[in-house]
Amino acid sequence: MPGALGTYAFIAAKLRTRLSKILDREFIDRLIAAPSLVEAMQLLRNTDFAGLEAVYEKTGDLKMGELEFFRQEVSLFGEVVRSVSGQIADFCRSLLLRYDMDNLRNILRLWFDRVIRKREIEEASGYIYRNKIIYDLHIDELLASRSLEDISGILKKTPYAPLIKEQAEEIIQKNSLFSLEIALDKYYYMQLLKQVDRLSTADAAIAGRLIGVEIDMLNINWIVRFKTLYNLSLEDSFSHILPFGHSLRDKELEAAFRADDVTELVTNFIKKKYAALAPLIKIQGSDVQSRLALIERLLEEIMRYEVHRALLGTPFTIGIILAYFVLKKQEIKTVMTILNAKLYGIDAERIKSSL
Amino acid sequence: MMFTTRMKYLTAVVLDKDVEKVTRELLSDGVLHFVNITEVSSGLKSKVDTMVPEVSLNRIAEIKKRIESFLNMIAVFPEKAKTLDIGTLTTVDLEQTEHEIDKLSEEVQGIRERQKNIQQEIMKLEDIRRQIELFGDIRSSIKARSHYSFLNVQTGLVPVERFPELDTELKTLPSVVLNLHTEHEKCSVLLITMKRDDPKVDPLLAKYGWEDAEITHEMTGVEDHVSVDLKGKLKAYAKEQRDLQEESQVIIRKKSNMLQVLWANLRMNELYYRIQSYFSKTSRTVIFSGWLPASKSGTLQKGIIKATQGRCYMEWSDPEKLEKSEKIKVSVPVQLKNPRFLSPFQMLVTNYSIPEYGTVDPTPFVAVAYLIMFGLMFADAGHGFVLMLLGVVGMFLYRGERGDWFNLSKLVAYCGGVAIVFGVAFGAYFGHHWFPPLWFDYHALVMGHTPQTGIIHDIYGILLLTLYFGIVVIVVGLFLNWINLVRRKRWLKLLLDKTGFLGAWAYGGGIYIGYYYMTQNNRLPDETTLLYLAIIPMLLFLVKPPLLYFIKPKESRHPFTVMTVVDFFMEWIVELLEVFGGYLANTLSFMRVAGLGIAHVSLLVAFKDIADMAGSPVFSLIIIIAGNILVIALEGLSAGVQSLRLNYYEFFSKYFSGMGEAYSPVSLTAGQE
Repeated sequence: MPGALGTYAFIAAKLRTRLSKILDREFIDRLIAAPSLVEAMQLLRNTDFAGLEAVYEKTGDLKMGELEFFRQEVSLFGEVVRSVSGQIADFCRSLLLRYDMDNLRNILRLWFDRVIRKREIEEASGYIYRNKIIYDLHIDELLASRSLEDISGILKKTPYAPLIKEQAEEIIQKNSLFSLEIALDKYYYMQLLKQVDRLSTADAAIAGRLIGVEIDMLNINWIVRFKTLYNLSLEDSFSHILPFGHSLRDKELEAAFRADDVTELVTNFIKKKYAALAPLIKIQGSDVQSRLALIERLLEEIMRYEVHRALLGTPFTIGIILAYFVLKKQEIKTVMTILNAKLYGIDAERIKSSL
Repeated sequence: MMFTTRMKYLTAVVLDKDVEKVTRELLSDGVLHFVNITEVSSGLKSKVDTMVPEVSLNRIAEIKKRIESFLNMIAVFPEKAKTLDIGTLTTVDLEQTEHEIDKLSEEVQGIRERQKNIQQEIMKLEDIRRQIELFGDIRSSIKARSHYSFLNVQTGLVPVERFPELDTELKTLPSVVLNLHTEHEKCSVLLITMKRDDPKVDPLLAKYGWEDAEITHEMTGVEDHVSVDLKGKLKAYAKEQRDLQEESQVIIRKKSNMLQVLWANLRMNELYYRIQSYFSKTSRTVIFSGWLPASKSGTLQKGIIKATQGRCYMEWSDPEKLEKSEKIKVSVPVQLKNPRFLSPFQMLVTNYSIPEYGTVDPTPFVAVAYLIMFGLMFADAGHGFVLMLLGVVGMFLYRGERGDWFNLSKLVAYCGGVAIVFGVAFGAYFGHHWFPPLWFDYHALVMGHTPQTGIIHDIYGILLLTLYFGIVVIVVGLFLNWINLVRRKRWLKLLLDKTGFLGAWAYGGGIYIGYYYMTQNNRLPDETTLLYLAIIPMLLFLVKPPLLYFIKPKESRHPFTVMTVVDFFMEWIVELLEVFGGYLANTLSFMRVAGLGIAHVSLLVAFKDIADMAGSPVFSLIIIIAGNILVIALEGLSAGVQSLRLNYYEFFSKYFSGMGEAYSPVSLTAGQE
């Protein structure tokens, strides 16, 4: 059985090379300062986003570029899965599940818009990723379905079917996909944590920590949203949050729920656990949306800190795969936010303040 | 070539009214490495003000980048142009320039919008195609009038004379319109549209006399017709998109000359104002200073005098004179000036670091050492020929730029050349012995055959050869270090450092003792020899720490205690370990040259054996060719990297301090930063 070196040497070299190409702060600032979308795209020409730029140049459609980039990332992750074996390949497949679920989410949201909200979705349906990632999603059949029952029938060979069946009544009652989205997230993390248990001790420790931090981020984000946007009670909120967070347990989450201003709670948490990040805490916004945006930014910084911590440790561990997964996701989110802001003519200062 | 270029320091004072002419002259000459005068003469700080450029350098740089990004879209790279023409320098109007670029940006963005609209139409047609595939049989979908689909599939009759107009109008919507059959002045039409377009389609159908009719009996093979129709439309849209993409390039190409002229002017203005940012001024005069090669001082002086019509004051200093007068340590920029044929080796040196001013320029020594090392590791005339060919091709491809890729290609060509020389010396031609060796048969020695003549009789002889080579390289390094130390008048270091006389004494003693031991049946030399070659130098190293301690001024010393004495001993022990361990390791390191050379031969022999085992001559040839390609690639890379490592570590560590600052004058070279 190969040791850590034999298992990770190739994929670590490949992903570290990819990580070295992640856009630095200086480039992001240049991207933000670009006077137009066309010029911003030009800047991406000699980066990992060259594929996105090429599609944009061909079609003039930013969303098509985004789709192309999604395809590239799925393809790379598929390569990662093929480069490893055994429980590590199973773990990576679980990470790939995130892309499959995101695709399903997009499809269900479009279906919901078409069937429940009676909106036209034909233009948006062209932006769905149509190749199989993990499961066959039968996209056009799903979009053409009449009911959630039909959908779960079409997806009967996937683990999504029982989740959709369970949540169908609540979706129709509350006229929202919210409960299903939470259920999908829960399923994703439970699958991931199951695979973590099968990893070696060293890998399990690293993966457990990083996933635990991600779960903490998700939980704190949800708690704030449940209270402020969805007006859920404490019990309802707690029924939706994920277990196995790294630092934030029920006690802390309850305190967060009860706090008048949860931003203060989060910043105190950061000062206590992540002193190095304390200088990043800036003035709090007064409204719910700004506070949520601030919390999300702070939590992203925590994730980045934890990932860099993992990268500084032993090089041949699952940490490199997770680090790439997390940092790449953050990079894509940053770049797409900037490009969409350019498309809508939002000025550089506003873009900077939202990142 | 032997040493870094001699530099001179210029301090010049000119009148305020001559600033523009002087700036142009300085830019045109492009030889002055500017230094802020207050950094050298701190007394002037309170007496002068820094000159603030009229235009923001950051803004110029941003606009330049915008122009570059548009020009790069049509594969024009102004930043790679060789030089700029000072005669075309004019005052830059940043507002106007930005306005021009904004206009261009809007034009291109407009085209992207049109491309996007076409993309939307393409997606709608793709959707129709997918929906039709979902149904399978179009005939059944008409009958079913399915609620599941986004599509409206219907058949009907339209008067013949009205059909073309209906077809034209429906072209503006994502649709499939097929005339299946014409009879009794009516066309039987299959119409597929999107349900969302029903409010637009229904009035059109009514306008052109549409009658619903069941005509499924005429729909044999209709799926193929629909597919062909859709493919045709998609192809047309794709062509339109390509045409628009080309149009965006045409727009930029039309403005390419204007953009390049704007870029060049911006670049010159950027350099112009960069020069002025180093100026200091009083109420009526401007002062500036900088370094330049001593050989260029006459030309620059003439130029400034001409530009100011004699209304200037210039003072020239040597670095030593300047340090004395200002009582500070000055950082003199370093220029390495070597013949063009040594440019690849200069690149290797500057990649490592910049030598200190006044020290030996390592370039020619690196050239000799690197090539010999490479030749010894990659001795095959055939392989060398291939490398040389690759190098020459690379030089041809990159001849326009003359940058790092050109130099790398040149290096590969040189390595190929020296591999040919050593290949002929060792009688190796693609692993074969087509001609007798001029020196010794390396291949035979590696395979264990003992030659009758010659000084090298076995593989140990090869190892010894590389060991001797390593000793020569290290000794040359030490010698160069002494030259540097003498020039910098660092006498103590020259005498007592591990790379000084004392270190060389210990090294020489170690070599002799090692040689004696190996050749005299594992016996050590007599006590007197050991005393002079090993014991005395070891003890002399003990002198260094207390000497360094006591020559320091009292106020900057730590108080003398028992621990100070302990420190002296610790430093002595560490120094001894560094000397003996370091020199031994450095010397033995050169045995890798033999190792790689042996590996080169062994790989070729292995491939030859595999080829001999192949069933047919064709396979045998394929294996030989593939094997040679692999050896050239792997061994070539390996030998190149190892030669570099030996230079950087074993050679440079003896004399190269690398604390120099590169000479970078502000000149009209376009791509300079």
